[in-house]
Amino acid sequence: MASSDKTINTDVPEKDVFAIHFLQSLSNLTTQNPFNSPDTTNYRARKIKKAAYVSMAKAAGGSSRLWSRALLGRAAKENNKIVRFARRKRKVTWKISSKRRSDQRAPEATDRLRNLVPGGGTMETSKLMEETAHYIKCLSMQVKVMQCLVDGLSPK
Amino acid sequence: MDLTHGFGARSGIGPVTGLESLNFSDEFRQLVTTTPPENSGGSFTALLEMPVTQAMELLHFTDSSSSQTNITKLAGDISPHPFGTLTFPSNSLLLDRAARFSVIATEQNGYISGETPSSSANLDRVKAEPAETDSVSENQNSKQNQNKRKEREKKAKSSMKKTKSSVEEDKLPYVHVRARRGQATDNHSLAERARREKINARMKLLQELVPGCDKIQGTALVLDEIINHVQSLQRQVEMLSMRLAAVNPRIDFNLDTILASENGSLMDGSFNGESYHQLQQWPFDGYHQPEWGREEDQHQADFPMGSTTLQPNQKISEPKRCRRRSP
Repeated sequence: MASSDKTINTDVPEKDVFAIHFLQSLSNLTTQNPFNSPDTTNYRARKIKKAAYVSMAKAAGGSSRLWSRALLGRAAKENNKIVRFARRKRKVTWKISSKRRSDQRAPEATDRLRNLVPGGGTMETSKLMEETAHYIKCLSMQVKVMQCLVDGLSPK
Repeated sequence: MDLTHGFGARSGIGPVTGLESLNFSDEFRQLVTTTPPENSGGSFTALLEMPVTQAMELLHFTDSSSSQTNITKLAGDISPHPFGTLTFPSNSLLLDRAARFSVIATEQNGYISGETPSSSANLDRVKAEPAETDSVSENQNSKQNQNKRKEREKKAKSSMKKTKSSVEEDKLPYVHVRARRGQATDNHSLAERARREKINARMKLLQELVPGCDKIQGTALVLDEIINHVQSLQRQVEMLSMRLAAVNPRIDFNLDTILASENGSLMDGSFNGESYHQLQQWPFDGYHQPEWGREEDQHQADFPMGSTTLQPNQKISEPKRCRRRSP
């Protein structure tokens, strides 16, 4: 199912890779909360959602994509773990200064996209587009996996 | 008698050519005298393939010769002849050139040759023709000359523009951007154009990805659609996670059953070697087993240890079992 362009590479692993990562994270979840299992569905749902995103980022190739790196960094920060990746290009400073200067712009579509895609705040527009494409593919994969899981586990 | 010779030769070919050459001589004069500064691509002298001065000389030379009298003799019947001081080109070279030009013109002025009966050409006929058709043909020829000139000038200008843009392009060989006609070609705009093309290419990629974006015209709407799609996917993830949380009040992940239940959906022959390698790379043993051990101590419940430890061999055997179960 991996599709590729001539110059832009947006390959995404197969569905089972996502599935395995997600299941692993779910099993992690169960082991982490053995007794004091807070039975509020909301709490569990939130945990599951976080686990889903982290597993998706891992499955999509941990540090080879900007958005996955940003996601994992964000998750690690929430757990108070400091995880840092080497080799991060920073073509950033000029862009940031220009944004501050013209701050009164109406929220354009690209700005909204930056808010949605993790790590999109400091990316060039062309890079943002690439990351969005890969992000969309990975998201749809993850949704398929979770749908299969729910369908399999729900009482018939 | 140069003129008669000329006429005789001409009439053999066809009266029309003689006509044309007659008319052209006048046109030559007009063109050459009135528009001397008109230069390279456009003027008639380029057609003649000789410099202006030489052409002028030839014309004046023929003028000075006694051709005038000859002409008046011939065209004596036709008194109000417009070509009063006809300077018929007696030079053979000029005649050839004129013939060529007339041939070209006759191709365009096809109807004139169609009208005039071409079979038997008498001198009288030839003389009579100019009186009737000469004004018409003169206008035609003049128009055609001017049109031809304009076309040539236009072509020259356009070619010059194209060459200019291509020259500019050659100066910057490392930028593989084609400077189109009428667009600026300095460094900044080239870089801008390259960047814009990059963004447009990626936008096309996104358009193919998001369903229903091909029909939309305009980048703003496409971007809105993409944003909607991303938001909907994120909402779906949240919804499914809530459903997952609700499905099992106590998430006891009996992986055996999970894998069995997902039999038909996920694992229909889609397991490839990669996933196995990934599994083997995972540091399961050192990481999970103590926790599993703790679990076993504290939970007497449904944790079938054997089947839930994710060891490579175990994993490999799982799909086989599942595949057996699948119909």
